[in-house]
Amino acid sequence: MQPRLTRVFRFVRSSYADGVAELAYAFDDGEELVETIRFPQAPAVPAERRAAFDAALKLLHLIAGVSYYKAGVPPRIELADGPLDDATAELLDQLYLHGLAEFAYRNGLDLRGRIIFPRGGSAPAIGALDLPKRTLVPIGGGKDSLVAVEAIKSIGGEATAVWVGNSALIAACAERTGLPTLNIQRELAPGLFELNRLGAWNGHIPVTAVNSAILAVAAILYGYDSITFANERSASAATLEYDGQQVNHQWSKSLAFERLLGDWLHTHVAADLDYCSLLRPYSELAITRAFAKLTPYFDVFSSCNRNFKLLGPKPVDRWCGQCPKCHFVFLALAPFLPKPRLLAIFGRNLLDDENQAAGFDALLEYRDHKPFECVGEGAEARAAMHALSLRPEWQEDALVARFRSEILPQLDVAQLALEPWLQPSAEHRVPLRLQAALAAIGA
Amino acid sequence: MKFGGTSVATLPRWQNIRELVASRRAEGARVLVVVSALTGITDALKQLCGEGGKDKRKAAAGAIAQRHYDLLEHMQLALPGTLGARLSDLAALAADGPAPRGELAWQAQVQALGELMSSALGAAFLSHSGLPTQWLDARECLAAVALPNQNERTRLLSAMVEAKPDPALNARLAALGEVFITQGFIAREQHGRTVLLGRGGSDTSAAYFGALLKAARVEIWTDVAGMFSANPRQVPGARLLQRLDYEEAQEIASTGAKVLHPRCLSPLREPRVPLLIKDTNHPELEGTVIGPEVRAHAPSVKAISARKGITLVSMESVGMWQQVGFLADVFAHFKTHGLSVDLIGSAETNVTVSLDPTENLLDSDAIAALASDLAKVCRVKVIAPCAAITLVGRGMRSLLHTLSGVLAEFGQLRVHLISQSSNNLNLTFVVDEEVVDALLPHLHDLLIGAGALRTDDSALFGPSWQMLYGGGEVVPAVPAWWRVAQRARLLELAAEATPRYVYHLPTVRQQARELKSLAAVDRLHYAVKANTHPAILRVLAAEGFAFECVSPGELDAVAAVVAESVPLLFTPNFAPRRDYVRALATRATVTLDALHPLQHWGELFRGREIVLRVDLGRGLGHHEKVRTGGSASKFGLPLDQLPAFLQLAETHGVAVRGLHAHLGSGVLDAGHWGEVYAQLASLAERIASVVFLNIGGGLGVPAHPGEASLDVAALDRALREVKAVYPQYQLWMEPGRYLVADAGVLLTRATQQKDKGGFRYLGVDTGMNSLIRPALYDAWHKIVNLSRLGEPATALYQVVGPICESGDVLGTDRRLQEAHEGDVILIAQAGAYGKVMSSHYNLRDEADEVVIDD
Repeated sequence: MQPRLTRVFRFVRSSYADGVAELAYAFDDGEELVETIRFPQAPAVPAERRAAFDAALKLLHLIAGVSYYKAGVPPRIELADGPLDDATAELLDQLYLHGLAEFAYRNGLDLRGRIIFPRGGSAPAIGALDLPKRTLVPIGGGKDSLVAVEAIKSIGGEATAVWVGNSALIAACAERTGLPTLNIQRELAPGLFELNRLGAWNGHIPVTAVNSAILAVAAILYGYDSITFANERSASAATLEYDGQQVNHQWSKSLAFERLLGDWLHTHVAADLDYCSLLRPYSELAITRAFAKLTPYFDVFSSCNRNFKLLGPKPVDRWCGQCPKCHFVFLALAPFLPKPRLLAIFGRNLLDDENQAAGFDALLEYRDHKPFECVGEGAEARAAMHALSLRPEWQEDALVARFRSEILPQLDVAQLALEPWLQPSAEHRVPLRLQAALAAIGA
Repeated sequence: MKFGGTSVATLPRWQNIRELVASRRAEGARVLVVVSALTGITDALKQLCGEGGKDKRKAAAGAIAQRHYDLLEHMQLALPGTLGARLSDLAALAADGPAPRGELAWQAQVQALGELMSSALGAAFLSHSGLPTQWLDARECLAAVALPNQNERTRLLSAMVEAKPDPALNARLAALGEVFITQGFIAREQHGRTVLLGRGGSDTSAAYFGALLKAARVEIWTDVAGMFSANPRQVPGARLLQRLDYEEAQEIASTGAKVLHPRCLSPLREPRVPLLIKDTNHPELEGTVIGPEVRAHAPSVKAISARKGITLVSMESVGMWQQVGFLADVFAHFKTHGLSVDLIGSAETNVTVSLDPTENLLDSDAIAALASDLAKVCRVKVIAPCAAITLVGRGMRSLLHTLSGVLAEFGQLRVHLISQSSNNLNLTFVVDEEVVDALLPHLHDLLIGAGALRTDDSALFGPSWQMLYGGGEVVPAVPAWWRVAQRARLLELAAEATPRYVYHLPTVRQQARELKSLAAVDRLHYAVKANTHPAILRVLAAEGFAFECVSPGELDAVAAVVAESVPLLFTPNFAPRRDYVRALATRATVTLDALHPLQHWGELFRGREIVLRVDLGRGLGHHEKVRTGGSASKFGLPLDQLPAFLQLAETHGVAVRGLHAHLGSGVLDAGHWGEVYAQLASLAERIASVVFLNIGGGLGVPAHPGEASLDVAALDRALREVKAVYPQYQLWMEPGRYLVADAGVLLTRATQQKDKGGFRYLGVDTGMNSLIRPALYDAWHKIVNLSRLGEPATALYQVVGPICESGDVLGTDRRLQEAHEGDVILIAQAGAYGKVMSSHYNLRDEADEVVIDD
């Protein structure tokens, strides 16, 4: 089979038994691609939550299909269960189009008008389920989710640290939180690797959407009334515009997606299941400032893009020092930490390494567009760099000195203040029960 | 004799102490035992001091008492009166809290109880087991002195004792008995209050008692046999230091060794009492003797250490030049901000100082505030995180000439500061912290290789840590094949003709089978550039090896010998287009390591599956010229060009099936391949088409005596660990030298000798034309006089060849038998990169090749 020449992508079936969900897909008349998701120590689904569980599982099936659909991007999408209600179809059309926008840009594809989920079905009527007042907090091993965890802990909220897949880094961070933990396993269909070998399309998928759908199933299964991600304000900003289309690397972390999914869960799963981001009003800099106070995590966390599956004790075992995430977190933490402490976290001084100049230029949006990574807005990076350029202990470092002599003269200093970035904006969807935690982050 | 916390925590350990004391008694010595608190008790007492409430304190005291009751029960002893009294003290102190005595004095009294209790328990046990032992209160012997710079806290919690030989105490004890037990860590001050000696306190107590009593020796019994030539956690090959003088030992202790606190040596220096470090679990080991006598030894580096977390402050100004008081003003700022300066390096316009890691430095704004103040008078740069690498040894300056290889290593790094003290004991380099972990073992090897760390002197250096504690059994070295079994045969072959390479095929097979034991490796390739002799290719094909070639010539050589079904890899570097055309016409899998081939000859590769060689950005190996990673090396695609490469591959319909990296040669650290493997795997996760990872070769073959060979079992463990996480990728390797180096020797014959300015030159009938590795890489090959094996080796030769180059030296300073013209001189480990790199230079005949297979 030539994946790129397929005609139809089919959502074949989904099932759940004894803690194991199976999600099946196929291209044309090809073999089934079956993804497996394992929920550890799963309780029986209570009867009153059965309908909600089925709705969440169906959504998971639809959203997780994005990993497979993108292998061939065929012109037609078929659903074995019949058409979707309008709201559901709209959610998926949007997710597939915007969530795959970077993928499309990189591969020179135009997905507009191509993604059409069959619609015309009817939506169910649902109500509240009286879910237990506790929160699933996804942990990613980086600073953001740890800030969210500590905020919930600070108001005495009941929470579980949850993550999907195997990661020694995340496991170490989750353990350090002191919260109960839940590790859900996801196994991609083995057939996908075969398609890759046969020349499938490849690229970025909206993985946060997939994880969100998995957690929605988990919330109903185990009984949680809220899922709080740690997506910050700048996740809503487009990375670039291409041929009239906004391309946002982290679209599934944006407020737009949060609103779509949150509303959908309220109307299709349970009126009392809240889905939100606790960091939504905050800039990256406000979050790094909050994180700078969380010393106990300094030797376990990492935001580095290089997916370290084997952890060593050294900073280089967690921070590659080369990727945009390493660059940004280094720069954003620098104004808020004593220099020796920051350098001890990374094991080296990225700002005194001329080889990293291009990477930091990209962050500053100097001679380059914003990289396709989950990093703050260029203006934030410039504000952080400007703050450092005023500090004698940083001034002489190679890239700070270069900023002062080469970049700063081209900038408007009035636009470089750090303080405005530390003010929260008003926009968020955090439910009343957790709003005190939201406030704690900015304190 | 001093015993630490773990040595006094269980009954078997106390039985051990009893035996050791009894053995000293049997030698006729009178024994004073100094003990720490039971392990964990001092911490528990400290924690008790921190508890706010009376009930919590009482509960903590109860738990501490219970530990001692439990041990008594194991010993089947009744509660001795001395211990009972201490336990009541503990209960009372816990109940009272700090108020009646004052916080610090109370803390000191509480914490002192740990040693008071353990020693009381020990006295009871030793006496009960037939060794009458007097319990001695250390506070009656050790009087703390008040020093002008002390405050109440340091006076009470980290006191100093002036310990001068005290014959009266000696006489008093002599009247009381033969065996005593007392407490480490505690003393009294002038008003009779209990004080503590601070960190390393028990060792220091033992040293104080040693000095007071002018003891025959102080023995520190611990869980390791002594000081080592490096931190064994960083350098498993570190060697036990059997003899040190006080100053050397103090320097080593101050720069990193944890086994002994540096302050416990100074009390012993004046009374010249030797200190012995011994391993409680291995009393048979010699341990480290630290004493006054400096016996006649060749100067040697004794140890290499690294301290991490160093911050440098570099200050640049023309203002300091010849200005009175400039530096005084600058240093005043350091004092103001509570930062203590360690190393200093200075030039006319720059002063750079190092700061040790302290909480003050890491968690306060001290550095920012300091930099602000300094910025007013000079340009400041804060450089961190750094590490100080220190070489320690008496007479360091006289060793400089041997350190050229070591210094060359530093030449490749950012060295921020070099410092050499006037006491001539150390040489310190401050470098970036990130390089240290890989650098240290490498430098240790280099120091041995350079003859700067004289591990050949068995009086100074004992076994390696690995050998003592590494867990594996020490396998006795099997004599090389040429030494006994094949010696007569080789002498016959040399009589026919020299120079001549001889290859021993059973050794090739043995090495091949060793590597085949690596369960994680799915395919092994022989890197044929090491030796293309057809007999060797045949042996390895029969052992199931695939082959890695770097040129069309090598492809032809392999094709001529091995079957059609054997897989081939073609891994050239900067090869012309026509080489790829040739290779693509064979079954070989082609490796690319640059953008150029796909940019300019992309259509050549359309529809092909290729391997991409990447440069992971660092190199390893025994010499600059064998390093193949890092920007200074011409090999591999730099990672920042990876996206461009993949884009080109996509454009030309090329599938990247494998990722390859190879960092260098002669690497002996098993963990290194695990790291390369994991790095490649994490890269491969972003490239959907990849199915195998080729982690290269470079498996080290030890050359120097005492160098540990590659631990194949450890390599297997390291690889399997990564494989468990990334089972989706096949693992390939391509060893070369490892398979064939030991299998080959170069036979030559002695030609002439010459004495010149203290050097003795021994000429042989071939040199760099046959074996260029010594000249090219400073490679060390063992050289023996095969004709005279077994005779005493009395001459020290520079072994040289007949080529008109001053670099035509095969070996320097070799201890050999007195040679005669015509003697057969064998050069070992010549099976790899020997014949294949030979030349006709000077139009000398090439060495021929002979194979033996039995």
